[in-house]
Amino acid sequence: MKKALKVLGKIAAIGAAVYAALFAVFYFDLDGKALFKFVEPTLVKHYDNMPRRDPMSRPYGDKPTNE
Amino acid sequence: MKKPDLNKIKKLAKDFLYGKPHGERRLGDLYEPKTGLYKHREWRGVKDTFYYFNNIWLYNYGMMVADIMKYGGLITFAKGVWRYRWVGQSYLPVMHWFDRGLEGVRGEALRASAWHYRAMVNQTIDQFMRMFKADQNIGGSKDLYDRTIAHDETVWGGVFYPYRDQLDDIPLQMIPYFVTCHVNNHTVLNYIDATQALGLPGDPCPMCQAECGLMILDDEPDYYPAFITTNEACDASVATSVIQDWMINKPLYAMPQPMQFDDPLVQEHCAKEIEGAFRFIEEQMGVEFHWSELVKHLEEQNELQRFEWEKWDVAANTPYYPITGTAQALYRIYQSQRGNRKIWHDTDKRVRKILEKCVEQKIETFPMTRHRVIAWSCAPLYYSHWCTWAYNCWGLNCVINMDSLMFDMTIRTDNYDDMLLDMARYHEWAPMRRMAVGGMQHIFELWENMEKFHCDMVMMYDQLQCKGMQGVHGLFEDEFRARDIHAIWMPHSLPDKRTVSRAEIRQIINDYMFTVMQEEPLDPSLLEFDDGEGW
Repeated sequence: MKKALKVLGKIAAIGAAVYAALFAVFYFDLDGKALFKFVEPTLVKHYDNMPRRDPMSRPYGDKPTNE
Repeated sequence: MKKPDLNKIKKLAKDFLYGKPHGERRLGDLYEPKTGLYKHREWRGVKDTFYYFNNIWLYNYGMMVADIMKYGGLITFAKGVWRYRWVGQSYLPVMHWFDRGLEGVRGEALRASAWHYRAMVNQTIDQFMRMFKADQNIGGSKDLYDRTIAHDETVWGGVFYPYRDQLDDIPLQMIPYFVTCHVNNHTVLNYIDATQALGLPGDPCPMCQAECGLMILDDEPDYYPAFITTNEACDASVATSVIQDWMINKPLYAMPQPMQFDDPLVQEHCAKEIEGAFRFIEEQMGVEFHWSELVKHLEEQNELQRFEWEKWDVAANTPYYPITGTAQALYRIYQSQRGNRKIWHDTDKRVRKILEKCVEQKIETFPMTRHRVIAWSCAPLYYSHWCTWAYNCWGLNCVINMDSLMFDMTIRTDNYDDMLLDMARYHEWAPMRRMAVGGMQHIFELWENMEKFHCDMVMMYDQLQCKGMQGVHGLFEDEFRARDIHAIWMPHSLPDKRTVSRAEIRQIINDYMFTVMQEEPLDPSLLEFDDGEGW
């Protein structure tokens, strides 16, 4: 019984700590700051350097591919 | 030792519990310079802060993951993010879109408006996940590809109702272009620049330019065997269709929205074009016309319309309407273009409860309203949340807007001919068509709506690159003078914040409020701030 209570207590404490940490992320806009300062620039670099097809190279007036 | 000031402590405790009253909030002090990020998010009192944290922030992050799992899974999502700029760059900061649209909002208005955002996020994820699942560029399913048809974002989703049990319809640009501009206005600039880099002129509508740019940069998923296009209510967009036709190189059916749609002959013509679209879908997709499916969706859409009328009634005649101008405008245009979907009904049920509570208990949802504003013409996509700013700073409450009012009809379902004519009318009343370039009598529906919604001020959007609306600028000026109406012209460039920045838009409103209205701001910290680099 005591052991079960202890485990439950631990789970509650971990839950409370996670909740508090998430609240800190929310309140101090840490999600926004991380996305703006790290995630977006990293992704932009990736998109900028991505090899892409050139759809302009297809002659105008080609028959549609499904026909 | 100095005695603690009891009044100060009481005041601090009260502000902590209930949030600061409107005039003391200083919301502008919360921003970091340039980026618009928050030093910290707003403290709205215990109840509303924790409502925002639990029921909006945590809930929506959770539901986004749930939606992604439901509509195709994390791997498909990750592949899409890696391949397409518009999804990776635009949609990750989606909670900031909520923040901007819900700044300073409290109580029932916070709750009802946030449900609108939740529905839009759900439908955004639904659409891009369907694109990715069927996308041949990233190894999507060929079977789903064969059961997905694409269309221009201003082709109403209702055209596909007879086939909804056999295929899904996903607009080409609603998610890669339109919604991105609201969530993160950085992305769209790549596409505009790509078009101009080809030597195409920079002065047509930047919406058309951005949509071309998506094609030029090869940033459209390949998820459909055929597509239906339109002139997007604006004939500049015909050029977009030409470029799309070239680059997509798939069977295309063009279904333009006529300009002078009041002519009954034009309506018959439009009805025939819808029937042509039916034939095209059946031929290209190998599906059958299901009358019962069409009727079912139309009747469900009619239900959505009837609730919208109830909402308008409360907005027009009471101070108890719990939906912000931004949520009202975006939800309505999204819902009416996307067509009938379950999430709209779920959302309306929730909103109905809140709406009825506000009316029954006479809850004044925007108590600092000084002026009831109607917004007219096409809005700046990069600053759709100007309404929240204008209310917080000046007490300008944007009660209703043109985009909400365009689809003001139910559709008859008792016989095929009437139904088809009604569908044609709905299609003709497309975004940017009925009241923007749809003829004088429709553009001037402003006056009757101003009266109906008891508005004393107009926020007149001035899309600098829209040749249609530029042509009637002077006529509006004359009417505003003749009718003695306070109107603020808000110049903008639809998705392109570089032409007129958000700060410039705010300055124009500030100048009008100081000089013409001779009023003082409710929150002076919001008068001037730099969010030029912000999402």
